[in-house]
Amino acid sequence: MRYRQYLRERYRWILGYSGTIWVIIALLILSPLLALPFFPEERPLAAAFAGPGLLLLLAGVLARRLLPAQENVGLSILEGSVIVVLTWTAALVVGAIPLVSGVGLTPTQALFESTSGWTTTGLSVLDVDQTPALVLLYRSITQLAGGAGFAIIILTALAGPVGMGLSSAEGRGEQLEPHVRQSASIVLRLYSVYVLLGILALRGAGMSWFDAVNHAFAALSTGGFSTRSASLGYWDSPLLEAVTIVLMLLGTINFLISYAALKGKWRAFLRSSEVHVLGVMIAVGVLVLGLGVTRDLYPTPGKALRVALFESVSAISTTGFATVSYLPWPGLGWFTLTLFMLIGGGSGSTAGGIKQARVYVLAKSLWWQIRGAFQPRNTLRELDIWQGEERRFLGDAEVRVTAIFVFTHLAVFVLGAGILIAYGYDVAASLFEFASAISTIGLSVGVTSADAPAGVLWAMTAGMFLGRLEFFAVFTGVAKLLVDGRWLILPRGDP
Amino acid sequence: MSRYVIIAGCGRLGSLLAEELSRAGDSVVVIDKDESRFARLSSDFSGFRIHGDATELEVLRQAKADRADALIAATSLDNVNLMVAQVARVVFHVPVVVARVFNPAREAIYRRLGLRVVCPTKLSANSFLAALQEEE
Repeated sequence: MRYRQYLRERYRWILGYSGTIWVIIALLILSPLLALPFFPEERPLAAAFAGPGLLLLLAGVLARRLLPAQENVGLSILEGSVIVVLTWTAALVVGAIPLVSGVGLTPTQALFESTSGWTTTGLSVLDVDQTPALVLLYRSITQLAGGAGFAIIILTALAGPVGMGLSSAEGRGEQLEPHVRQSASIVLRLYSVYVLLGILALRGAGMSWFDAVNHAFAALSTGGFSTRSASLGYWDSPLLEAVTIVLMLLGTINFLISYAALKGKWRAFLRSSEVHVLGVMIAVGVLVLGLGVTRDLYPTPGKALRVALFESVSAISTTGFATVSYLPWPGLGWFTLTLFMLIGGGSGSTAGGIKQARVYVLAKSLWWQIRGAFQPRNTLRELDIWQGEERRFLGDAEVRVTAIFVFTHLAVFVLGAGILIAYGYDVAASLFEFASAISTIGLSVGVTSADAPAGVLWAMTAGMFLGRLEFFAVFTGVAKLLVDGRWLILPRGDP
Repeated sequence: MSRYVIIAGCGRLGSLLAEELSRAGDSVVVIDKDESRFARLSSDFSGFRIHGDATELEVLRQAKADRADALIAATSLDNVNLMVAQVARVVFHVPVVVARVFNPAREAIYRRLGLRVVCPTKLSANSFLAALQEEE
């Protein structure tokens, strides 16, 4: 009985905080309406956003009232996971409603599109050339918010002890400053400045204001939604591609590292292990794609180089803009991109995937494992990784967590690709497309389309959701909800 | 206003102080030689943990002692606390430095060196005496 009472108390906190985040999600869903003055002919769409937005706003305000009056109660990481599950599900489901009522998607397609937005994937079942501007803007806004994560946004917006529990459960746990709220506010400011500069740079390089806003949102969040069905290929402009590459890199480099670089600590930037991995990957990408794929496909060497560089950065950064179609590409091209997509971007950024730091740690462990065989049994080893100014030593526990994560990522990847294959898609295409979903990228070889079967869309929706939240928060959050739900709802005697 | 506080020693006292300050919104960096001591910190603590010896200049530099508003030396050894506190004061010019000193005999000497000290032994002795007085 007492345990039930205790749980009830804790869930008032959890729902209260979730309510606060629902309010923010609701405001984000309502925010495209601010652009109505620019697109007066789209007024009929307003109801599609206002309905679900206001409903979630109301639910959030009501849930907030559950918050007990007393202050200063911290949340554990497990409780943070529950909040993450509750808030992300709300964002995905409520965020899908405008797409059903506004542009007539089926509920499955809408949920897919909404998940692709919030998780910063960028796979789309919409025909963007026929889509109203408000909906395009809405998709870009979901990517912008989903990239930073709700923890960062709420921590800067509000006081309250949500702190560590939430931000580490959302997979955005790395800190710039020794207080979670300050580092959240730095990340958000850094992000906003990047976005503003990105909009100006894209506009300066030749996009319209509307396209510039959407693409800056989608590039920095490493989302990849475009306003054209040919994506960046529509413009075919080297200047725009160069600007976009810079923005994608800013989105994918650990904020800790770009913060150090901005503060003039170039040594810290150049020394970072993740920057090394990123550099090597881009170089390999340009070489392999340039020599093995694009040289024979495109008329001029300049174009071949541009395509090789742009698609490499787009895949590694987990953004998913494209300048060409991959259908004519040979297997080597698909394979390289699939590999890059699985590895993904930097930790502590807006990117997805296994993350360069994890790959680096495991590769180094392998090296140590081999070297260890030739050394005395009691040799002390230091497995280190440079992160900005700091050299971090990793113990066995960290290596184990990393290995489990990589295994889970690959296991879900294989399983998901298997589902696609079972629906009759080509093996290579299934692997490519599911890697794109689980690492939240958005490059496509055509599996994702308006007429894809519902089962395929559901599998990919699940992949994007799990991949963005890095599995464990979802697993533990759902498990806790189930266990606690049994305690709270089922009537049973004191055990 | 948020302060930047360094705490040397993550024992019962150090971890308690770290949690309280972190929850109140201060930026906190905790240093301890023994990594397993950080397990004492709950999820209320959102500061940094540095695994190292606070008597080493390099460790204090890594904790950014030069920008700290305050340093608390809360290890279990008087001499270590004294040394950390003096380094913080003289080398890094930390404005507020407080050291824990168990031995009441040393308290006066440390004071003379210009350090602010807290002596738990003396504090508890005073509390015991006060409790006795109340009984009478």
